[in-house]
Parts: sequence; C-alpha cells; structure tokens
Amino acid sequence: MKWRHKGLIDLDEWNREELDIFLQQADYMEELLGRPIKKVPALRGKMIVNFFYEPSTRTKVSFELAEKMLSADVVNWSASGSSVSKGETMKDTAWTLEAMGADAVVIRHGAVGAADYLSKKLTRASVFNAGDGTHRHPTQALLDLHSAWKKLGKLDGKKVAIVGDVLHSRVARSGIKAFSKMGASVTVSGPETLMPKDIQSLGASFVSDTKKAIEEADILYLLRIQGERQEEGLIPSLDEYHLRYGATPELVKEGKVLIMHPGPINRRVEIASEVADGDNSLILDQVKSGVAVRMALLYLCLGGVRA
Amino acid sequence: MILLKKATIFDGKSFMENPQDVLLSGDRIEKIGNIQEKEEMQVIDLEGRILCPGFIDIHVHFRDPGYEWREDITSGSMAAAAGGYTTVVVMPNTEPPLDTPSCVEFVLWKGERTRGARVLPAACVTKGRKGLQMAELGKMADAGAVFFTDDGFPVETSGMMRKALLYSKDTGVRIMEHPEEKSLTLKGQVNEGLASSVSGLKGMPASAEYIDIARGIALARETGSQIHFTHVSTEIAMKAIKQAKEEGLPVTCDVTAHHLSLDENHVLVSKFDSVYKVNPPLRSREDVRYLWEAVKDGTVDAIITDHAPWHRDEKDLPFQEAPFGIASLECSVAVVFDTWLKLGKPVCVERILSLFTSGPASILPEKWQELGTLKEKGMADLTVLDPDTSQAVDTSRWQSRARNCPWENEILSGWPVMTFLKGVPFDRGEGSLE
Repeated sequence: MKWRHKGLIDLDEWNREELDIFLQQADYMEELLGRPIKKVPALRGKMIVNFFYEPSTRTKVSFELAEKMLSADVVNWSASGSSVSKGETMKDTAWTLEAMGADAVVIRHGAVGAADYLSKKLTRASVFNAGDGTHRHPTQALLDLHSAWKKLGKLDGKKVAIVGDVLHSRVARSGIKAFSKMGASVTVSGPETLMPKDIQSLGASFVSDTKKAIEEADILYLLRIQGERQEEGLIPSLDEYHLRYGATPELVKEGKVLIMHPGPINRRVEIASEVADGDNSLILDQVKSGVAVRMALLYLCLGGVRA
Repeated sequence: MILLKKATIFDGKSFMENPQDVLLSGDRIEKIGNIQEKEEMQVIDLEGRILCPGFIDIHVHFRDPGYEWREDITSGSMAAAAGGYTTVVVMPNTEPPLDTPSCVEFVLWKGERTRGARVLPAACVTKGRKGLQMAELGKMADAGAVFFTDDGFPVETSGMMRKALLYSKDTGVRIMEHPEEKSLTLKGQVNEGLASSVSGLKGMPASAEYIDIARGIALARETGSQIHFTHVSTEIAMKAIKQAKEEGLPVTCDVTAHHLSLDENHVLVSKFDSVYKVNPPLRSREDVRYLWEAVKDGTVDAIITDHAPWHRDEKDLPFQEAPFGIASLECSVAVVFDTWLKLGKPVCVERILSLFTSGPASILPEKWQELGTLKEKGMADLTVLDPDTSQAVDTSRWQSRARNCPWENEILSGWPVMTFLKGVPFDRGEGSLE
C-alpha cells in the first residue's frame, strides 16, 4: 500500500488500516534502534526543520533523534513567545524556512491551530504537528498507542481511563481519538474544574469517581498537573489533588492495570513513586516508542513509499 | 427629481398595497402614488424590487480616530452605503475613545464630508471606557451622541451602570450594553461547549452574557431607565430579555448577522480559520435556532453587523493569536436574507425588513426615529432590495478597507441593489448604478 499522507496535523486524517500499518512500521523502527549501528540512509538529503515556539525537551529530542537515525539534515529553529512578539510573523518565518529548502517542518506552538495555519501557508514542505496549544499532539498519541499495543496486543475492547487535567490537555484530546480509533473505550476522570464542558464531543465519557473510573480499566493514563492550575483556582492544592485523584498505591491496587504518563511526571502530585516505578508502569516504554514512532512517521511521509 | 417606478413599497412596518411610484425631490420624498413621468425626471424602474426606508445599522466599528489603516469614517461610510445602509452608528472604542463632546463632533464633522451613509456616533459611558468615572453624558447627548456605550467592554461595575442609567435618563439617549461578565470570559477564545471542548481553547460561557443582562434588567426595573443589549448571542440571555419585555420593562436588544448564520462548528470545520474568531463567539446550533425564534416572536429589535474591520496582516495569524472581529457591512443584508431563505423563511419578510428599518430607528433618539419610515415629505433615505439577485461575495470590490469576511466567494441570494442617501443615488464609482 502506498502511504497517502505527506505530513501529520491531526489523526482525524488517518483510518484504522493506516494505524495498523503504522504500528507495524514503528515496530520495525524499534528493532532498528536495537541494532549496534542504528543509522539508516532512508532520508539522506532531506532537510527537516524543528520549529519550536514552546519549550519542549522530550518531544524535541525524540524528533531530532528520529531524524538523525534516518540520516536527514536537521535544523533546530527555536523561538519564544508568540509568533508576533519577535517582530517576524510565523508566516514569514515559515516562508523563509521553505525558501531555504526545508522539506519538512516539525512545529510545536502554544497557539491552537498553529500547525493548521502553517500547513495552509506552506506550499511544498510537509508539516508535522508536535503539539498546538491545548489542542492536539498526534505523535504523542501514536507513541502511546504503540506502547499499549505492544503490551496488550490488540486494543479492541480494551478500557482506558484518563485521569487529570483533560481541560488543558492536548495529550488527552489526541489520545482519546487514537485509542478510540483502535477500538478501545475511553473514560476520563478528575476534578470537574479540569474537565471540558462537552466531553462526549471528544469521544469519551466522564466518571466523577476516579476509583470507579479505573476499576475495570486496562490502562490508567495519568495527565500532568501544572502548578499554575492551583494559582488559577481550579484546584485548591497539589496535595489535595494527590489525595483525591492521584495514582497512589491505595487507588491502584495490585492488579493488571497498566500505568501510562506522557512525562515529565510530577511525583506525589498525579502519581506516587511506588506506582510510577512499579512493574506495571509503561512510562519508559513510552519514551522508547517515541523515537521509533517518529522515525516511522517521517519515513512513511517523506520516504520512498509515498505515491 | 427622481421617479422610482412600480416599486413594491415597504414603509418600515408593512407593505403598501400594489406597486406604486415614488417621486424624490431634493432630500425628501415628494409623492407616493401613480405618478406621471415628466421630462425633467430621472426614471428608475423598480419592478420586482422592494423599496424600503434606508437600512440602519446601530453597531459598527470604523476605527477612526486612531486606527485608520483598518477603516476610517470615509471608507466605512462608503462601505455601509454599498452594503445597503443609509445610517450607521459607530462605536466609541477608538483612540482616543469617543468620551468628550469634541470627539462626538469630530465624528459628525467627518461623517458629513463623505458620500456614504450617515454616520452617527455612540459615545462612551465612562471616561476612557475605564469604568471609573462617568463621561459628560449630557454634553455628548447635546453634541449628537445617539447611544452611550463602553462597547468592547461592558460597563464594569453594577454601581456605575446604575448611576449612568439614572443620570442619562433625561438625555433621551439610551445606554447600549455589551453584555459580558468579564471574570467568566477571561482569556476566552471560543464558545464554551463544543468548540472549547474539542480545541481546549478557553471557553466563553453563555452565563457570562446572561449574568450581565440579568444585571441590566434588574437595574432597568429599579431605575425605570431604558437599556439596550447589543449582539445578544445565546438562548439563555435572549430568554431573559423576552421575559423582561413581557414584564413591560424598557429593554431592547439586537443580534448580529453572523450570529444568525454561523455557529461554532464553523470554527472547527475551517480548522481554526481566524476569520471565524469573534466576540461574542459563534455559539451552538441551538443558540442560532433560538435567535431566529426571538426574531420571530419580536424579542429582537434590530439586526446589526458589529462590523469589525482589521488589516489583513493583523488578522492573518493562528486562531489563538488573532484579534476578534468580522467585517460584513457589504454583505450582511444578503447574509441575513440568504440564511432566511435556506431556513425556509421561518418568519415573514416584513419582520426581517423591520429589523433593518423601523426596529433600529425606534431605539435611536427621537429626532432620528423618522428614518425608519417611508412616507410623503419624509427623508429620502432609501434602500432597494432585490430578492432575486444571487451573487458571490467578492471582497476585492469592497469599499471597506477590511477583508476579514467569512463569506468570501460564497454565493448569497437577496441583495440590496441601490441605496439613496438624502435623495442621491449612491454610486460606488464603477460607472453605472446597476
């Protein structure tokens, strides 16, 4: 099958069959990463710009490693603040990068719709969304799928409970979509001040009792709680959050539920160390999947198999 | 003298029987009836078209003084005339804000020097729109202000609103409130509901509009003063106004053309095109449905554009960074009629026409209320509507400086085809009138 996508803005554009093919491809990439000599020449001569408007460590490093493993030429372009604060608009920066010959732009930006906007402005280069504000983070969702799929095999009929700050989470928005596409059902839980008004529209259901939400779950996916939520008055304190919604050993009784988290984790806030470091934790598997998944993505979209 | 032949005449409230002729002389309507053509008359055949009192938009932003690159009083008033309006009310959120009598006089002075629509100023309720000190409402009313509003912002405190309502009572000028409880809309970007949930953008809940309107209603009840709520966009707020009207309180309201025709799904389907970013935000489908209900049952007094022009470069940004506002003066009438047609004509056409004419006129100070009528010896401000004209929105031909228009290239039906300003046909400067 020929891969029809040139880039990735949103997983909406992908169907189930493509996700299956993709996961296989990611597995192959992960196998490559285990070899003594990891580098392959698949994207030799391609120029990829990592265009990061927001601070990011793991996503950026993970993309960069993936690009280098595939032998692409990599340019890191960092900017801070909004696309207007630096005096040059995002559109002009994008056109500049394209004029320099970039084949692909990986963009992380604090504004919702930034990747959509960029892809409307670029005529030739591929765009990969590495997170647009609170909206989407499709490569995170792909790596989550890959880790879960490797552990559980088929995801059809599996139950995923996402707990935490769904309201502000691009990880949750993309994750719900991805897990649902693979046939899993998603429940969300957490304080209602951190829940979007219309959760159904995201394809998940809400259970206010966190204990109940994870009772039947195969996967407990925890979201990072930012300290500023306390300042905004959305939660009274991080300690209270930990007691009521955190993944403590009391909440996560010895069982089969797998623990996932996009990182970086806040110990003793959304997750207790016993749980984070326990046998059922997939947190480091996720990191490993991150590189493989991004390699698969770049390879399929920019490599030779595309029509 | 201009003779308009065989026009279907709408007089502001209802249709006159049978098509008739209308003779214009100077800035007045000389005669209505069966009129013999004479050599000195310029004759225009209006068969099949609807002749109305000139359309009035009581809520536009012309950015003048201060931000003339977005729009100025001249370009804005030309845009209004091209869009079928003969009178517009400009909002005072300029730089400086229109908060002194001389600012009010400046707008009138500049407005009188354009070929476009009549420009009437709304003045600030508070100095600098800061909500702290009352502006000189009496002097500004005398200078010609037709509303008091801090539009863009609500009048911040209930205390100030109450004082302003009481103080302005004897000026004959109404307070127009931009209903928004700011603590509920802080950093808000889209409607709280589907759009906020899907995007994660901060939502602006319906309760923010409702709470401000409930406050205004309570104060109107207590003070006996008139209050006008502008760009009402939610079902819950509109229902509160309906109830207040049933109670006999002196409250009025308007809705925008875009809130009658677009909903929050447009934000999502367009993949966050900033052209759909507006405040109040595009609401739910249910809200849009209810606004039409309110048009039908008489709760709504006027349709407005809230024309908010931006320079292309200022609006061409990712959604979250772009400013709020839709520019629509030159297509809003067609937007409303086209939506009305697509919905299967949910209300009678007289009702829609009145919301562009007698409805808004009745909210203006007394001296302007005749603008909502079409009668012998009345002002020859006239709008000709052709229900059968279908054409695409083409912003490249706009008189307005702005292009931030969601309907670009869309084919709409029901356009204003001629505008008479004080008896003079408006010429967009492209040769023939038709």
